[in-house]
Amino acid sequence: MLYYILQVLVLIGLVSTAVAVIWFKDLISAAIALGASSLILALQFYLLRAPDVAIAEAAVGAALTTAILIFAIKSTDRTEGYK
Amino acid sequence: MKKIIALIALIVISAFMLGGVAEMRGDDGSFGNPVETEMDDFFLEDSQDHNQVNNVVTAVLFDYRGLDTLGEATVLFSAVSGVLTVLRKYKLSKKENLTKLTKSSKGGKK
Amino acid sequence: MNFKMSVVVRTVADIMIIPIIVFGIYLILHGHLTPGGGFQGGAVIASATALLIVAWGTLKDNKDDFSTMESTGLTMFFLLALLGIIMGFSLFYNSLAGTGGIFGGTVSGINPGYINTGGTVPLMNIVVGLEVVAALSLILYMMAKRSDALEVEE
Repeated sequence: MLYYILQVLVLIGLVSTAVAVIWFKDLISAAIALGASSLILALQFYLLRAPDVAIAEAAVGAALTTAILIFAIKSTDRTEGYK
Repeated sequence: MKKIIALIALIVISAFMLGGVAEMRGDDGSFGNPVETEMDDFFLEDSQDHNQVNNVVTAVLFDYRGLDTLGEATVLFSAVSGVLTVLRKYKLSKKENLTKLTKSSKGGKK
Repeated sequence: MNFKMSVVVRTVADIMIIPIIVFGIYLILHGHLTPGGGFQGGAVIASATALLIVAWGTLKDNKDDFSTMESTGLTMFFLLALLGIIMGFSLFYNSLAGTGGIFGGTVSGINPGYINTGGTVPLMNIVVGLEVVAALSLILYMMAKRSDALEVEE
């Protein structure tokens, strides 16, 4: 029973963080929401009994991709806009 | 017109994907029991005898499907080569070129 | 411009990179026993590099060392793959498993942590780990340097 409750919570969190990535106009907030989405996806991989993929997703998605995206945002514009 | 085409494409593609998922399930209808299990059974039963390795995933990655891992490492290497090539220091011969380049690159910024 | 963060962040980063690197080395060395392997451990160690870059903002010029590490890793990986042909089998054949040499122990059933098994698999894990650490750290280093978030000491 706890397994199904966790699955539903993880899916709700995944969809809501993915919507938040599109919703934010501030690109640094969007990058951090993408990191949170990767972390919840790593939890989903762990629940599906793939701990290898969970470790790789947590390390690459939550740490390295967020750092690279923030470095890229720092050298361009911070807010999303259509001019 | 564009929206109608997009809607039709969405319906067709999702029908194909749902059909594929429904086809992948086993006879008892439970998820996680695929129909084709010959290679899975081979790996699970024989990988310890072949490689003396307890982690079957690592045995598949580095022995049975080693060429895939070699391609993955090569992809990572070429990605780093591309990053080093794009982000290198540019040497300019004249001073005018430098000012022109900085002006044009900062044109998009406020 | 200097992007050094406060004393609290720097001290916590200095303390936290030790367990992160130890955990990454554990993941690489136990790749044939527990979940993990070269890529996962390398990514974990590269996140320690990201922590150092974000916290300190300065770093010595390590580009050539990382380049040498990465090229060495990829070359050693291909040479380990060629070892199967040299010993008289096919490419990527695990010719060291069960022979009694380095990483050549035998195991049957549940392994309680006997690390001297696996043949070429743990060697390939170590080599791929080296390559992934160098590659991801190099990408982070170059991105941080070109976006002025990193100040390179000469």
